[in-house]
Amino acid sequence: MRVRFWGTRGSLPVSPSASVIATKIAKALIAANGRSFVDECAAREFALTELDFAVGQGYGGASSCVEIADSENAFFICDMGSGLREFGLDAAVRCAADHPRRYNFFLSHLHWDHIMGFPFFLGNFDSDAVITIYSGHADAERALRRQQEEISFPVPFDYLRARFGFVTMEPGSAYEIDGMTVTCILQHHSHDSYGFRFSNGQSAVVYSTDSEHPAGDMASEHLFESFFGGADLVICDTMYSLVESVTMKEDWGHSSNLVAVDLCRAAGAKRLALFHHEPTYSDEDIARMHGETIRYEEINREASPPLEVICAYDGLELAL
Amino acid sequence: MSWSTQQTEKRFIGLPTGRIDEKSWEALLGNLMRAIADAAAAKLDFALDLSGVDYMSSRGLRVLTLARREAEAHNIAFTLAKPNERMREILAISRYDKIFKIEDSLD
Repeated sequence: MRVRFWGTRGSLPVSPSASVIATKIAKALIAANGRSFVDECAAREFALTELDFAVGQGYGGASSCVEIADSENAFFICDMGSGLREFGLDAAVRCAADHPRRYNFFLSHLHWDHIMGFPFFLGNFDSDAVITIYSGHADAERALRRQQEEISFPVPFDYLRARFGFVTMEPGSAYEIDGMTVTCILQHHSHDSYGFRFSNGQSAVVYSTDSEHPAGDMASEHLFESFFGGADLVICDTMYSLVESVTMKEDWGHSSNLVAVDLCRAAGAKRLALFHHEPTYSDEDIARMHGETIRYEEINREASPPLEVICAYDGLELAL
Repeated sequence: MSWSTQQTEKRFIGLPTGRIDEKSWEALLGNLMRAIADAAAAKLDFALDLSGVDYMSSRGLRVLTLARREAEAHNIAFTLAKPNERMREILAISRYDKIFKIEDSLD
């Protein structure tokens, strides 16, 4: 099983300004300290291997879209944030090389940042494409149709060429979908959200974003420990520091890096991917949070097996 | 986790020891709520002595948030005191050191 991150930013897509890029280049030149490179390839290698990630690269700014790549029979995609556009372009190339035009989408919820990529998804205009949209929400179709209305977008839903199907999932039920077993869990978020667990019998991936774990309801966290149980990878909403999540941003429907570590450790998960990055955070801010999360995992590990903490970024691909 | 309390002229002090994690956070919460009620009844501020705590998970930290709210509802101060090096680091990573008053001693 492989996981590809097409969009990792929370709430609102962002893009580095000219000033941010100039600062990265300035820091890279200082780090290079007068070195010369024989060609662009060598300079790129320097950027990838010798510079801090936040200087030589960056986490990207597309909103939530994650591909769970397993079956050669179908695509599995979590959420339709602005990262979906890039996935659609890549999928078109794969379809041209004979990948079946069968798309299974799983919507955590229907807020704008999680569906805004849908109008720009190339597969919508492919008359040979079969697109099935799974969600815990019975109003998923309404949300996508409403987004295509003329007041918001020039192309109405009924103009799209693909064959669409909508499936409302029930928490606690297992769904066998193109070789994958998929379950969902209700999460605490405005208008509800759902986490998904994907298992192919060998590996398991959990996608749990836009999920608050309130201080006033810690007793129910065992449900998430069970849902995350033994997963090879848990992709978790870690938008805020713990203190933000219990003060000014309490009840905003998001979680923190520390809660994610504790849930994953109690669940015996192997890897945690920090996800749904706060849009006001710079690359340096996200890198700092990543480092602190790794340190928190080390401090509190005791006799538990290590939990690998990675920080998702647009373009990251993981093999499980 | 074990729990004891002390009382000085100015403050009521809670002294948890050991690990505060997913197994022990509810015990800490119950003890804190009772102690804060006792402090308020005695018209004293409350301090939590962390010198015996060697580990605190996010649930333990969130218990501190709930306890501080309870203290505020009783109109008494809630202070953290004497965290060891590990606890100090946890308070910094969580940014709890930005919202809690942390004292180095209870003198």
